[in-house]
Amino acid sequence: MNKIFFFISLFISPYTFSQELPSTVLKDMDGSSINLQMFTESENIVVLSFWATWCVPCINELDAISEIYEEWVDETQVKLIAIATDDTRTKKRIRPLVNGKGWEYLVLYDDNQSLKRALNITSLPHTLVLKNNKIIHRRTGYIPGIEDELYKVIKENSN
Amino acid sequence: MQPLSSIYSQIIDGLSVGFESNSAWYNDDKKTGAFNDQINNDQDKHLRINNYLKFDYNFLSKFTASVQVESYEPFALLNYSTNLNGTNLGTYSLMYNSQKINATVGHFYEQFGSGMILRNWEDRQLGINNSLFGSKINYRLLDFADLTAIYGAQRVGFKTSDAKIFGFNSEFQLDSVFKWNDTALCVGFSYVGREQDIDFETPNFEALTNAYSVRLDYSHGNIYSSAEYVLKSNDAVVQSNQISNEFIKPGSGFLFNAGYSKKGFGLDATFRRLENMSFSSDRKNSGNVFFENVINYTPGLTKQHDYLLTNIFVYQAQSSVSFLDPELMVAGEIGGQIDLFYNIKKETVFGGKYGTKIAFNASYWAGLKGDFSYTNQDYNTKMFGFGDKYFSDISLEVRKKWSSKWNSIFYVVNQFYNKKYIEGNFGAKPINANIVVLESTHKLGNGRSVRLEGQKLWSDSKSHDWTGGTLEFNFNSKFSIYINNIYNSGDDPSTENTHYYNAGGSLTKGATRIALNYGRQRAGLICVGGVCRFVPEATGLTASITIAF
Repeated sequence: MNKIFFFISLFISPYTFSQELPSTVLKDMDGSSINLQMFTESENIVVLSFWATWCVPCINELDAISEIYEEWVDETQVKLIAIATDDTRTKKRIRPLVNGKGWEYLVLYDDNQSLKRALNITSLPHTLVLKNNKIIHRRTGYIPGIEDELYKVIKENSN
Repeated sequence: MQPLSSIYSQIIDGLSVGFESNSAWYNDDKKTGAFNDQINNDQDKHLRINNYLKFDYNFLSKFTASVQVESYEPFALLNYSTNLNGTNLGTYSLMYNSQKINATVGHFYEQFGSGMILRNWEDRQLGINNSLFGSKINYRLLDFADLTAIYGAQRVGFKTSDAKIFGFNSEFQLDSVFKWNDTALCVGFSYVGREQDIDFETPNFEALTNAYSVRLDYSHGNIYSSAEYVLKSNDAVVQSNQISNEFIKPGSGFLFNAGYSKKGFGLDATFRRLENMSFSSDRKNSGNVFFENVINYTPGLTKQHDYLLTNIFVYQAQSSVSFLDPELMVAGEIGGQIDLFYNIKKETVFGGKYGTKIAFNASYWAGLKGDFSYTNQDYNTKMFGFGDKYFSDISLEVRKKWSSKWNSIFYVVNQFYNKKYIEGNFGAKPINANIVVLESTHKLGNGRSVRLEGQKLWSDSKSHDWTGGTLEFNFNSKFSIYINNIYNSGDDPSTENTHYYNAGGSLTKGATRIALNYGRQRAGLICVGGVCRFVPEATGLTASITIAF
């Protein structure tokens, strides 16, 4: 009976138990090392959005959110960290692209994809919502309009 | 005693699991031919599945144990190495991670600088996993220094290389010492050694090949720049798995990048020169098509295009020495790339109500200039000379939002493709191609949207005159379907008068994604991060499942 319970809980675990974000240090666009836990170990919601300069839906998602990001922050104090998974082939395009578009997000480099690998992220875009360093929601893919669903999750979980 | 459910929750909180399965059921195609796997010499096993199951267990707040099981049954998908066969442990490791120290034993991935001297990574679409098996230690001193030492053998299939690789990397953030506010200055130095025994009686080169890298990164305000120089000591040149004891050469790589960016405008320029910069953990296996034993990363520095017809003529970096013929001698490449991003503001003439976003890219690649001798098997190159033109690519992308429901992308590309050098195809003439793409997305409300895309490629070659299109429908945030087709009305013998059609869809829920596709795939290159894998022409049903929890 206990064995059956164990296997059932293994399958429903994605829906009931929340995973902690591993201790991570990444570089920002100026080359400074940033400890992710500085932002994630807080009551405020943190959104980690994994993207790349060659990923069109990723750019579409971050463009769409950028238009309403100020409102999101005003209402919920959410912080969106855009983690660029470009390897060094396309890494140089990150800064001109981000500044050219005028995105207000904190952009960090995961250029050998070590955080992406640790979180078992295989397709982009991939968005995680964190509270108190625990992953409370995650989603892969983007189609126009689903940023509203993301905001619902943020609002429900913010104080 | 603690209740069972609480113990389970403690175990499961620290455990994360990732599963990916890529499968294909290949057909015999009436038009393009019967299914034939040349690599494994098989015509019978039409169903192939590549599976990856990864467990990461975090415990005692600082430790992580990691295992990845891989299964390629009955054979791997078409055109993966024969070393990826059966079911086995792919990678496993134990890692300790604190604010100052990171220590790993087992398989690990590391990158020094831009990767031109050393890079380990995994890419399942390309069948690449060149992680090192050994130990790594990394020490971070405040904000100032980042030091790493590594030692190991490289993963090849389910085994490891005979050669041993050791290295040291250091990076110093000087601006934290001087406490500059608006300026960042970083210097770096790396050493990588590859030691592999030599079979010859009297070798003219050493078992240990040394590589060094120096780097400088400087940024101030809106301007940024970086430079890296890599030097590789004398080593035998390997061509077609033959190690030459007479053709001994050093290698070098120089990479420079600079840019300027501010709100609404970004400009970036890159210059790179490579000479004999292939670096392998098995000399005999140097330059193999599966990228096995590759120690470093020298990708093609060209724009990653998103559309089917823009990916027909793809550039691959020419980093190795290759003397195929007196008319076809390559020792490296030289060239660069420019990117420009501009946002035309809202409420202006060209900006319109929502603004217009423009992206321009241009790249140019050529061989090295110098004296090449086929009979003497030797060469002498000039530092900054440009030899034969290999490739150029100029593109302009205009993104326009017409209303809250409509937006479009207009894309034009001009490409020059020197087939002779890029493919090693002696008689081939260079191709000049022009491509135009127009796509529009319409939001229908309730999370539904439709995207339509049309593409056309013209060239100066009678062999290539392509037309293509895509139609994609998103039912809601979870389910979408698509259909696409490309057709060549030119007389290229391998693709003429053939429709390369595809239809499929995907289902996404949270971090789970299932995708299905049925179609005919053109023989060509699949490129990820500037590294390309050749895929043969194939028809069939492919499925891909990824789950993460």
